[in-house]
Amino acid sequence: MNVLSCSINTLIKEGLYEISGVEVGQHFYWQIGGFQVHAQVLITSWVVIAILLGSAALVVRNPQTIPTDGQNFFEFVLEFIRDVSQTQIGEEYGPWVPFIGTLFLFIFVSNWSGALLPWKIIQLPQGELAAPTNDINTTVALALLTSVAYFYAGLSKKGLGYFSKYIQPTPILLPINILEDFTKPLSLSFRLFGNILADELVVVVLVSLVPLVVPIPVMFLGLFTSGIQALIFATLAAAYIGESMEGHH
Amino acid sequence: MANSIMASSKPLIFLSSNQPSRVQIPKLAKLPQIPKSISSSELRTKALSLSSATVKSLALIAAFAPPSMAEAMEKAQLFDFNLTLPIIVVEFLFLMFALDKLYYSPLGNFMDQRDSAIKEKLASVKDTSTEVKALDEQAAAVMRAARAEIAAALNKMKKETQVEVEEKLAEGRKKVEAELQEALLSLEKQKEETIKALDSQIAALSEDIVKKVLPS
Repeated sequence: MNVLSCSINTLIKEGLYEISGVEVGQHFYWQIGGFQVHAQVLITSWVVIAILLGSAALVVRNPQTIPTDGQNFFEFVLEFIRDVSQTQIGEEYGPWVPFIGTLFLFIFVSNWSGALLPWKIIQLPQGELAAPTNDINTTVALALLTSVAYFYAGLSKKGLGYFSKYIQPTPILLPINILEDFTKPLSLSFRLFGNILADELVVVVLVSLVPLVVPIPVMFLGLFTSGIQALIFATLAAAYIGESMEGHH
Repeated sequence: MANSIMASSKPLIFLSSNQPSRVQIPKLAKLPQIPKSISSSELRTKALSLSSATVKSLALIAAFAPPSMAEAMEKAQLFDFNLTLPIIVVEFLFLMFALDKLYYSPLGNFMDQRDSAIKEKLASVKDTSTEVKALDEQAAAVMRAARAEIAAALNKMKKETQVEVEEKLAEGRKKVEAELQEALLSLEKQKEETIKALDSQIAALSEDIVKKVLPS
């Protein structure tokens, strides 16, 4: 531990800290009515939302029977989202397409914005702009929404009979079934949070060590992981919703 | 940089460590109220009061760090829940409804309509296949009729030409027979003439023969 601290100390003295500037867990705070918010997350999420809404409004404004390039892409994305929802939820997937689709698109664009947009140009007094998904607040918010969504799906489909799934197949599993409701959002949020944060950290650390060439494959790997994470989150959310909607056997 | 990573995990350590001095850590970690210009020595004394080895080394690193970093690290928290969470929830719901209005519903409906239109067209194309079949049969009937007509015409022509040919054949045969008859008749006449001529010469011939045979 001493060796480590010494080496880190020399690193700091050489100013590597200033160059690489990893600012994990540092936030740019705003005060809103006595509460603190992470301003960098809000700013980047606004940008992400603006990108999504702007591109959608621009492309879908005037749909053509024979789709042009942009419309083709958006149709492909919508088909993909519908396919994911239908596979996981089943025939009654229609009302859930907006939820699953927005989860996927928001997470996907957030992750990629963290890797692709040059946030560093904008200097903040503290912290730095990065993907909104590398803040635990965002991922937990999305995971809690998923929990609410699958409870709503189950309750609206089966009424109070939904709770009978807790004692199935035997009442002995009641504690485990209840525990599942806590582990689901926990695993969802921490998986996304951890992956995105770790990805950005790996890239930053590699850039600080070898600024040329070496980080590029890791960056591509990061893009790949980001996409996969978005898909996993959306697919799992759809699977949970489908699970709570399916009939008893 | 590693400093901030490790420092940011302070709350985690607080969760997992079983040290008696637990109460002190939250003060260190969640510190809206701690003055920003906390000196490194103060930090060291506070951090060293935790007897955990990990925390000790953390504090050592923190002590070596420049004061500006130490200040920043005080704020560094990975698991820092605050009002951002509900705001993100609201933003997400807004995004969901807006995207539904802008993207999923309009484009989805458009795609469904196009799908059904294409299916209708396909079905109508399948329906015309009976029409095509009828037209096909009609064409076949026309062909059959034409073929029969042609065959009839052919037969008729064959018969006509046969009759003509037979007529000409019979004519030719008659002609040939007549010529033959004539030739035969002339032959007969010549034969009789020669016989007659022979008869008249017989006496002279016999006299010649007798003269030559009987010596005179």
